[in-house]
Amino acid sequence: MTRPLDICFICGAGLGSSLACQMEAEEVLAAAGIRANLGHEAISGIPGVRADIIVSAENFKPTIEKYELDPDIAFVFLKNIVDKTEIAAKLLPVVQEKEAQA
Amino acid sequence: MSVINWIINNVLTQAGIIIGLIAMLGLILQKKGLGAVVIGTFKTILGFYVLSAGSAVLVTTLTYFGVMFQAAFHTTGIVPSIEAVNGYATNNLGLGGQIALAFLGIFIVNILLARFTPWKYIFLTGQALLWMSTMTVVFGHAAGLRGAWLILAASLVGGFFCVAMPALAQPIVRRITGNDAIALGHFCTIGYMVEAGVAWLVRKRNVDKQPSTEDLKLPRSLEFLQDTYMSLAVVMIPLFLVVAAVAGPEPVAEDVGTMNYMMYAFLQSIQFVVGVYVLMAGVRLLLGEIVPAFRGISMKLVPDSKPALDCPVLFPYAPNAVVIGFITTTIGTLIAMVALPAVGFAVIVPGMLTNFFAGGTAGIFGNTVGGRRGAIIGGVVHGLFITLLPALLVTTFMNLGFPNLSATDVDTITAGLLFAYIVRPIMNAL
Repeated sequence: MTRPLDICFICGAGLGSSLACQMEAEEVLAAAGIRANLGHEAISGIPGVRADIIVSAENFKPTIEKYELDPDIAFVFLKNIVDKTEIAAKLLPVVQEKEAQA
Repeated sequence: MSVINWIINNVLTQAGIIIGLIAMLGLILQKKGLGAVVIGTFKTILGFYVLSAGSAVLVTTLTYFGVMFQAAFHTTGIVPSIEAVNGYATNNLGLGGQIALAFLGIFIVNILLARFTPWKYIFLTGQALLWMSTMTVVFGHAAGLRGAWLILAASLVGGFFCVAMPALAQPIVRRITGNDAIALGHFCTIGYMVEAGVAWLVRKRNVDKQPSTEDLKLPRSLEFLQDTYMSLAVVMIPLFLVVAAVAGPEPVAEDVGTMNYMMYAFLQSIQFVVGVYVLMAGVRLLLGEIVPAFRGISMKLVPDSKPALDCPVLFPYAPNAVVIGFITTTIGTLIAMVALPAVGFAVIVPGMLTNFFAGGTAGIFGNTVGGRRGAIIGGVVHGLFITLLPALLVTTFMNLGFPNLSATDVDTITAGLLFAYIVRPIMNAL
């Protein structure tokens, strides 16, 4: 049994939409039988985030890419952050890849 | 009886404990394990007190700003901040327990309305629920309601807004997202509809598609505005410095000691952002357990419900409109800051958090209805509108003895004014 992945959800203030996205992702991951630790954070806190995967909305992509983060962190950017289909399509492959590496 | 009295005096007056108990109830109803219940409950309580600490920092720096503004311009300048109102109501008025219970009551009323009316929305933006319960309780209390009646009235009014506001915005949200899967749960909706209305009036006639903000290339240097705390700092630091420069060193000489007064102003403006940052961290801890619990419960009780979510959910659909909305709303609030005193209102300093979130969302509404023109002109009007309502509130707050406070989110203000103008006269007549 490998350690569960850490997935961090990011939005502007780290309150509402990142939590909404996290709740949807939690269900997607549970349906796929994947165990992971989920958390959410404001974009200001990104340099201190230690996660395997960072999930955020597409409008934050340029800002997030400005930070020189740990190259091991994988990114997932979503257009509709509460759309389970999109979350499943974009997040699950990344999760499986990460788990294969572990 | 003594046991009950002890509980009332020691537990039910402690808002943090009540919020913790609500989270615990939610976790137990979701059948989480003992460990998860204990951790989740503790995190929620911790979050509440982190929020209070942030409010205290914010109130201190706003008090300083008020003194300086008064000295500089010989008029009262008010920074509307619902967070500070919440802190004051909890720490100084002892209404924290009622606010926490109204928070739960609003959620229950919301579920009942979603279950039995065609408005199938479950309001899941936790901080907005907290601000709504703050406003309804503070104003219900000012209207003379007490005890269970106060909590009941606050819950009914707040719960009504929880379904009515998403329903009001839904026709436009549908156009933004292209489907009906999500709704907007953010208590600035009346402002969004004002912007949408203005955008509709100024839209280009005789074209199939309005020219969208999203076809523009905005300079990349504006991207940092997406970071809430940076956009706060960019406005608040110059604002504090300008006010301090005009006021000079005298007004706060005793507090400053040997430090240069401009340096002190700079540090105070940083403190303002610190207050917001700490407060937000508290809200994050506080809601991390409650909101998923609310969602789990509501999905069981109202299977065909739609979640009403926080406004940034819409941001990826029109990122340029968000930036344009923020800037134009800020311009509108600055114009109102100068213009409103001319017609006898207090000076309302722009509340930058609201300008960003509400302004950005309003920008999306404006762009969707009336394209670029709608976003820009509508944005300025939106800025005027969201300054006018807090100005109306100030007098009411002053009567309650609130120090230099007002609130921002227009739907919560509307709810508060309902109590002030409708419930209060009735209570006085009885």
